[in-house]
Amino acid sequence: MIQSTNLSSIIWKRFTRHRGAIVGMVIISIIIVLCIFAFISPFDSEKSNLPEKFLPPSSTYLLGTDALGRDLLTRILYGGRISLAVGGIAVAISLLIGVPVGALAGYYGGKIDTILMRITDAFLSLPSFLVLILLAAILREVDLPIFQRNSVFTISLVIGILSWMTFARLVRAAFLTLREMDYVSAARALGSSDGRIMLGHILPNGIGVVIVEATLQLGYAIIQEAGLSFLNFGIQQPTPSWGNLIYSAQDHFTKYPWLAIFPGIAIFLTIISVNYIGDGLRDAFDPYKVMEKVGEFT
Amino acid sequence: MTTYILRRLIQTVGLLFILSAILFTLVNVAPGGPITAYAGRRPRPERIEQLKRQFGLDQPLPLQYVYWLVGNDWTKIDSDGDGIKDTAGSRKGILRGDFGLSYRTRKPALDEIASRLPNTIYLMSITMAVALIIAIPLGIYSAIKQYSLFDFFATTFSFAGQAIPEFWLGLLLIIIFYAWLKNPWTGEPLLPAGGISSLDGGFSLSDRLAHLVLPVLTGTLGWIAWYSRFLRSSMLEILPLNYLKAARARGMTERNVIFKHALSNALIPIVTLIALDLPYIFTGAVLIESIFAWPGMGRLYYQSAVDRDYPLLLAVLIIGAAFIILCNLIADILYAYLDPRVRYE
Amino acid sequence: MFTKKRTLLFLTLAVIFSLTIVSCSPTPAQPSATEGPASPTGSEKSITIVIPEDPPSFNPMVADTGYDALVMELVLLGMADVDPNGNVFPELAADLPTVENGGVTIDDDAGTMSVTWTMRDDILWQDGNQVTADDVLFTWNAISDPVNGTWIPGIDYIDSVEQLSQNSFIVNYNSIYPGYLTQFGGEQLAIWPAHYCNLEQGFLSWDCGREPLSDGPFVLHDWVLGDHMTFHKNDNYYLAPKPELDQVLVQIVPDDVVRKTMMLNGDADIDMWINANTAKDLEGSEKAKVSLSPTDRWVMRLYFNLAQKGTVDPIAYPHPILSDVNVRRAIRSAVDVDTITSEIFHGLATPAWTEFFRAPYQCAVPRPAYDPEGAKAMLEKAGWTDSDGDGVRECHGCSTGAPEGYAMEMEFITYAEFGEPLELTQQLIAEMLGEIGIKMNITVVEGSILWDQAENGGIEQSGNFDIDIWDDGYAGVDPTDYIWELYSQEALVPGDGYNVMRYDNAEVDALIDEAYTLDEASRKKTFCAIADQINEDVPLVHLFTTPNLEAYSTRLAGVQSTVNDLVTWNIADWTLK
Repeated sequence: MIQSTNLSSIIWKRFTRHRGAIVGMVIISIIIVLCIFAFISPFDSEKSNLPEKFLPPSSTYLLGTDALGRDLLTRILYGGRISLAVGGIAVAISLLIGVPVGALAGYYGGKIDTILMRITDAFLSLPSFLVLILLAAILREVDLPIFQRNSVFTISLVIGILSWMTFARLVRAAFLTLREMDYVSAARALGSSDGRIMLGHILPNGIGVVIVEATLQLGYAIIQEAGLSFLNFGIQQPTPSWGNLIYSAQDHFTKYPWLAIFPGIAIFLTIISVNYIGDGLRDAFDPYKVMEKVGEFT
Repeated sequence: MTTYILRRLIQTVGLLFILSAILFTLVNVAPGGPITAYAGRRPRPERIEQLKRQFGLDQPLPLQYVYWLVGNDWTKIDSDGDGIKDTAGSRKGILRGDFGLSYRTRKPALDEIASRLPNTIYLMSITMAVALIIAIPLGIYSAIKQYSLFDFFATTFSFAGQAIPEFWLGLLLIIIFYAWLKNPWTGEPLLPAGGISSLDGGFSLSDRLAHLVLPVLTGTLGWIAWYSRFLRSSMLEILPLNYLKAARARGMTERNVIFKHALSNALIPIVTLIALDLPYIFTGAVLIESIFAWPGMGRLYYQSAVDRDYPLLLAVLIIGAAFIILCNLIADILYAYLDPRVRYE
Repeated sequence: MFTKKRTLLFLTLAVIFSLTIVSCSPTPAQPSATEGPASPTGSEKSITIVIPEDPPSFNPMVADTGYDALVMELVLLGMADVDPNGNVFPELAADLPTVENGGVTIDDDAGTMSVTWTMRDDILWQDGNQVTADDVLFTWNAISDPVNGTWIPGIDYIDSVEQLSQNSFIVNYNSIYPGYLTQFGGEQLAIWPAHYCNLEQGFLSWDCGREPLSDGPFVLHDWVLGDHMTFHKNDNYYLAPKPELDQVLVQIVPDDVVRKTMMLNGDADIDMWINANTAKDLEGSEKAKVSLSPTDRWVMRLYFNLAQKGTVDPIAYPHPILSDVNVRRAIRSAVDVDTITSEIFHGLATPAWTEFFRAPYQCAVPRPAYDPEGAKAMLEKAGWTDSDGDGVRECHGCSTGAPEGYAMEMEFITYAEFGEPLELTQQLIAEMLGEIGIKMNITVVEGSILWDQAENGGIEQSGNFDIDIWDDGYAGVDPTDYIWELYSQEALVPGDGYNVMRYDNAEVDALIDEAYTLDEASRKKTFCAIADQINEDVPLVHLFTTPNLEAYSTRLAGVQSTVNDLVTWNIADWTLK
């Protein structure tokens, strides 16, 4: 894998040439670090402080306080943990389903390909946000050990289950091309197992498009959680997420607009940074060769 | 090719039935459910039994699915709760176009959909048309001027369009244009807060347009971003290709190169993409319709999810899915027809 | 090749745009009940009511969303209705049947009663036909139909309904039913026209439920689903020259913020069921005011599960923490109700500490004091101390049967639909209980899962909770059935009632049996005895009444919010300034 270290340095070089991506990277890193270190905030994210409720942004409370007098910035940072976690877990779940499906379909072809791709098609033919609403509405009431009433995991799972199809298609397209490559035939001739070829030889070379897509999906999942929360089907209080912070702020939108505006800006900054990073990565991975294959129907 | 597409279509539809069975099961085994929603907080046991019979929920789940699919007019059901199956069923099943009665209104689910569908098509087609009118020049120009200041701003604008939560933007716009800004002459709000038209008076084009501004503005940003980014990248793929170089070498003006050759090829994928996006014209936008009081499909669906109106919920889902499959088919055919490089197995 | 492609391309675009243009054509309206142009002239008096969703129909018995009852009040009458103070007044009835006027006869031996109703003879349907006892019998038959009928309050007590003449009928009860006055009226039930509705379609799904024939103050003119409904004045209304308004528009506006903003801008005249936050925002507005119901109905309350979580038998499986009455009393003393009502409900909620806080049954139960120190002392005494210093008490010699060292940690559930004020209330109470060393883990669920049947996994019915909080109360003026369902030992069995605390007190059971009588004075004595007993045993904690608030425009006069009906209960009396 000498080749790949070389490659990654090229990719990194190309990526750093993309100004937007670098700025996005910096912003998202700041957001993530702040969310991780939310606990250093001098304020408690849950404990009420009624005498100081609904204070506008000031030097003490940088983003103001909410209906129970809690510091909004602290709540946004704790909410950010949840929103980012939803994004991350949702993408992880999409990858866990989509990559194997695409890899198996692309590598083996034939019947396996047909079956897996028809399943993919069937999922693609569902109106996804509508199904998302339905599943969230149903799972909100389910109380099993893992699926506890729209926990972070449940919401992420639902979002993930409805967005793995792009990964499957991308990975399949990459595998279709790469499986014919000489080095793969060589590995096969040397007696490598299918699993080893797929994981060790093909996947690393097709990983670029997957990373680009995963970045974009991360932002998409955060927006979807927010949309669900707005409909009150998202993560339930008292766990704060950016989505349900906006939802609870709705009542106060006219009088205390900062309660809704700041979580919205947090979402906005995160997604726009993620999109720029995705754009930079796409340029860096030189998508042309791979993306062309994705567009094709086979 | 025809056989290939046909086979694919049949397989997909077959799978859709499996998915419909899964959805149907999920919906029906979920706790909560329609009985609590319609019998009130403290229903009497008699009322619960009666409701179950009226909704057909007294049958075992597989049978419920069969009735939903093919109807129950071929068999007898117990309608009065005496335990004897003595009344002929009256449902025809979705395969014969009977999506059942809405729990909430006890009227055919299809009628409910029919009353909302035109409104959604109206809003969504305008939203998408506006998006295309803006996105196409935007995408072309950013591609031609790649890495220019214009490209940078167009890109930023597109990314911003995708990054703003639409419900948040919608509320913000209402506060700004309805609550804060006033028409300097009349003192009325600058723009209406929602709805399709004003309730007093008849049809007026300016009134209709005023009601469209905010929902279209809110909804179109994401679409502009989507189409312009797509067009930009497909233009970028084509611009360096050999045949364009050849055209340039033949002395053709850059303008002609772009508009005659590059654009027509770059538009091929976007036509396919539009075909793939057509289903949104049917399913609508739940969040936008809710904020702007738009009586469309998205809101109907959301309301039925809240009310656990399963027949209506499933009807919207199944028809939506059918529409998506149809549009995929159209996209496939269009793509194959427009792009000679594509060959089916 | 290029030309061909381009042709197809433009063909496709053309198809898309023609689709756009086709769909631009005016929205098809729902078939209207009557024909004619909707445009009122400038001199006509028109108001706009904004509600978040379409009423499912004009029959609240179908889905009970409140919006159906709201529009039913515009077009349909019942035998009698209830005013904001809880007084029943006749609508279709000529007068109210009582024991004194001979309308009610009681058979003391059998424990049964019969009620004879006489109807006015001057009330007409909009088509000119008279409203008669035929219509009542027709409505009753439709309701009691075993296939397409439904359950209504009191139906279990009715033996038969018989027509006596064109204008009178008798209802025979198999028991003493104190709620008989609103049997065919109140906020949910109206009398339907026999000559217009189709019985075969069934009470819940007949077409006249959506295109009703009016005998009320207004007539449905048109209904564009999801958008608006238009009502015109009924010229045949029996209380002519009422109503003063010529037109009522009911506009569907789903978002709360938008409805509030419309009120502030003067674009809407009524926004029903606003929450305390909205009421606060409307304060000082020139365009909108808030109407508060003179009495309240819903009491926010903490339900204790006296049985172990997941079980329903308080004797065999007592709750490890809550089965001790001293713990329950300590919790009651630790909740600072005044802070919640003032800070979260902006002073619009009123503290309440008993079920019987409103007319006609008001009982003088002493208000429990807010006393966190006393609460701590009570817990210490009950054997709950914090020996490991983590801020959470453990059982050290407690009397509930909990193992030594058992931590005072419980799940605290509420429902999501109420919105932000309840969520904040829940968080504050959890904090208050945390102060006295009880750790509460907050959960928010959907209402339907909280209240569902045990076999469907309903949380309360299956006993799957420690403490939950929600607002409850009885409709109308007769609490008897409600009290039985909530406190009697028989109602403790899942599916039989709603005694989800699993409260079991033989004395209370005996008192509840005594309440089934028409003698007001003796009923009041019985209810107050029940109130004292509940105050002693604390199976639940009454906290405060949630206000019933309606926003109305300053140009509108006569609006009176009520808990006994929808705000449109007296729309015939509304006037425009």
